[in-house]
Amino acid sequence: MTADRKKLYIEQNKDNSTLYCKLIGWLDPNTTPELLDKINLEGVTSLVFDMQDVEYVFSSGLRAMLLFQKKLYEQGGTILLVNVSDSLRTIFEYTGFESMLEPKP
Amino acid sequence: MIKAIKNWLKYKSLNFKLNVSILTCICLVFAFLTFYITERAKPIIYKQTENIARQTLEAYSYDLGHLVKDTEQIIYNIKNTLNYFPKDNISSIKITLNSAIETVYHSELNYLNAWVYVFNPNNVAKGTLYISSQEQNGEIVFTSENINNLYDRFEWFAQTPKQDKIYWTDPYLDKHSNQAVVTGLIPFKFIDNDKFNGLAALTVNLSDVQKAISNYSFYETGKLLFLSRSGLYITHPNPDIALKTTVYELSDKLGLPELASAGKEAFSGKKGKIELPFSSIYKSPTIYFYTPIEPINWAMFLAYEKNEFLKPLYQFRTLIFLSLLAGVIAISFIVYRICKHSTDQLLVLGQLAHEYGNGNFSDSFTQIPSSKDIDILSKALSNMRTDLLEYINKEKSQAIEKQKSISELEIARDIQNSALSIDYPQHEAFKIATLMMPAQQVSGDFYDFFFIDNNKFAIVIADVSGKGIPSALFMMKAQALIKNIAKSKIGVDEVFYRVNNELYQGNDACMFVTAFMAEIDLTSGKVDYINAGHTPLMIKTKLGYRFLHPQKNIVLGVKLDTEFVAQSLILEPDEHILLYTDGITEAENKSFKFYGADRLLKILQKAKNEPADNLNMILNDVKKFTKGAPQSDDITMLEFAYYGFKKSAIKLDADIKNLDTLIDFIEKDIQKYRFSNKDKFKIVMIAEEIFTNIAQYAYKDEKNQGVEIKTDLVDDIYYITFIDKGIKYNPLENKDPEFSSDIKNRNIGGWGIYIVKKIADKIEYTHKNKQNIFQIGIKIKK
Repeated sequence: MTADRKKLYIEQNKDNSTLYCKLIGWLDPNTTPELLDKINLEGVTSLVFDMQDVEYVFSSGLRAMLLFQKKLYEQGGTILLVNVSDSLRTIFEYTGFESMLEPKP
Repeated sequence: MIKAIKNWLKYKSLNFKLNVSILTCICLVFAFLTFYITERAKPIIYKQTENIARQTLEAYSYDLGHLVKDTEQIIYNIKNTLNYFPKDNISSIKITLNSAIETVYHSELNYLNAWVYVFNPNNVAKGTLYISSQEQNGEIVFTSENINNLYDRFEWFAQTPKQDKIYWTDPYLDKHSNQAVVTGLIPFKFIDNDKFNGLAALTVNLSDVQKAISNYSFYETGKLLFLSRSGLYITHPNPDIALKTTVYELSDKLGLPELASAGKEAFSGKKGKIELPFSSIYKSPTIYFYTPIEPINWAMFLAYEKNEFLKPLYQFRTLIFLSLLAGVIAISFIVYRICKHSTDQLLVLGQLAHEYGNGNFSDSFTQIPSSKDIDILSKALSNMRTDLLEYINKEKSQAIEKQKSISELEIARDIQNSALSIDYPQHEAFKIATLMMPAQQVSGDFYDFFFIDNNKFAIVIADVSGKGIPSALFMMKAQALIKNIAKSKIGVDEVFYRVNNELYQGNDACMFVTAFMAEIDLTSGKVDYINAGHTPLMIKTKLGYRFLHPQKNIVLGVKLDTEFVAQSLILEPDEHILLYTDGITEAENKSFKFYGADRLLKILQKAKNEPADNLNMILNDVKKFTKGAPQSDDITMLEFAYYGFKKSAIKLDADIKNLDTLIDFIEKDIQKYRFSNKDKFKIVMIAEEIFTNIAQYAYKDEKNQGVEIKTDLVDDIYYITFIDKGIKYNPLENKDPEFSSDIKNRNIGGWGIYIVKKIADKIEYTHKNKQNIFQIGIKIKK
């Protein structure tokens, strides 16, 4: 990964009602507005974030995820975070949002 | 001479030596015997020969004398008979002569030719001569010759002394027969007459006598010589001398006066012997025996070659020589065979020994037929072969063992080296350098350094008693114990207490360790150190290096349950600790002098700030000092340079745009510690959440006066302190967001401080001097 690790790169791939997003970088107060902007949840019932290349999810990022969840909930959809590192997982656990995460194998 | 022969023989074969010495001895003995025998035999042979010669000559001269006497008797008889007859009576003369002839004829004297004369010089003219001869027709015939035919015989008449004795003429050649004859004469007178009437004579033919004497030989070359009164040789082997030369003439001619005197002696009736270096007969020394022949004053010589009779002796000698030669050849051959038999075996043994010398042991002794004496050698060589084989095999296995132990030593060294810390930490607060030079392959010294925790660093130096593998093993044990026990964070004194007890257990070899250990608090520079019988530590301050002679403790491993007393000091930034083993101070030079502490202090005056350079400088100085002397002990040094931490602080505008700068600062700050990734994650999370919080709320309506962030590590707790001059705000007073199972009711915000609270181990808020001071501590896991 040559890109600045403190930025955020988003790769979207929509398949019918499933939006698949690969996130690369950090989810901090500087990058989350962009994420909120770019993700269009219209007609999406399943949102999947690949967190493989995400090092940090700060509270702002957490907030974004909650917003997506709420919106999807209203559309009858769900959110799923896959490939979450152990450190990140603790943050979601602390805050009680581990339900968003792909269950641990 | 003998030395030269010895040298010459020195490198000849045994065979040759034996032959030469044996044959030389035999030849010497035989030569001596031969010489002795011949020399002893010579005079005996001479004497014996002389006796025989003398007797022979005696016998011959006697015989000849006897013959002369018999002949003279006949002449006397004629004279006497004529004395009875009247003068000039022919018939009486005839009778007389007849009788005489008869006598001669019948006598044992075998005169083959004999003439009897009677004549009267007074009546020459009328004189009548009667000659009797048996030659003619084997009868006695009387003939008369004219006196004129006999004129030459008148001189006899004049010569013949008128005495009653027979006069013998010198030998002469008879005109008729041309043979050597001699005539005996005696005057006679008839009965009626007073005066001499004539001479009665008998001529004897000497050829028979000559022949007899000439044919005689004394042994092989000995000769009889017959001389007439005048010295004339009647017989002589040389025909030019016989009847032609006298002994005197010959004596003159040959220059042998002894010959003449011998003749004179003999003619004067004496017997004797002379020895001449040569003679008319022999060219070699000649013995002459001489004797007179009575009664006619003639002489007889017996001459013989002196050494003729040594011939048998010489033959005997030749025989001895030949048998000696045969014997020598035989002995030589026998010696050669015996020697060869032995030396062949020796050669085989030698060849075998040579083979063994070249390491070829395949040939054994089965093929050697050995005699009793060689057998000893053979057996010895055989034993030697077995022993050598055994020895070589032993050596081989020993060499393998040795090789093994060498490679084992190398492995031991590798293991030991791997145990020594080589991972020099790149650290903001200090720098460490070590130097080690074992005297042998493995070392009894060791150094060590390791983090006890994130803020505490330990340095150790030690010296195990003795050298080699045992020391190395003990060293490994001591090093492992110190490291493991030190990580229990129990303080250096307790570490040494436990290590000592551990080392004491089962230390049957009674080994011990002198050791120095220090724990350095990297933040404060406080050093807790302990010295168990080790060399004093050195510290470098602004004033240079100096020794610190700390509390001495007993060495490790010898006394159970020993209390070790630790001490401490504070290192200011840029101060150093230098540790070393006595391999430095007790390095010996050729004159057995120690390097010493003073010289160490002196060289350190040139020290710079770089620890590694300083250690090399010391080593070079030690090498310079010990130049040429072998290294007596392991050399180990460790220098610890303390820098301390730079104050970790940053002041930023409270703006989320500075978030990146903040995180850079934090990440860089924690990089100098050996934090786990999980701890690093926590620290970054906390820093971000607090900074974002301040950025969003502190100066909402006021002028942004920024935020100061300080970090520190104290007792395993990493503190981040945020100081801002914004509105008084204690985030701890915030109500935690509620976690609702209903997604709709979930709080969207407020999670930041909540997360911080969850993660942080210590949170403290104070408001002081219009400043919000928010300090968060994260316990660092080891």
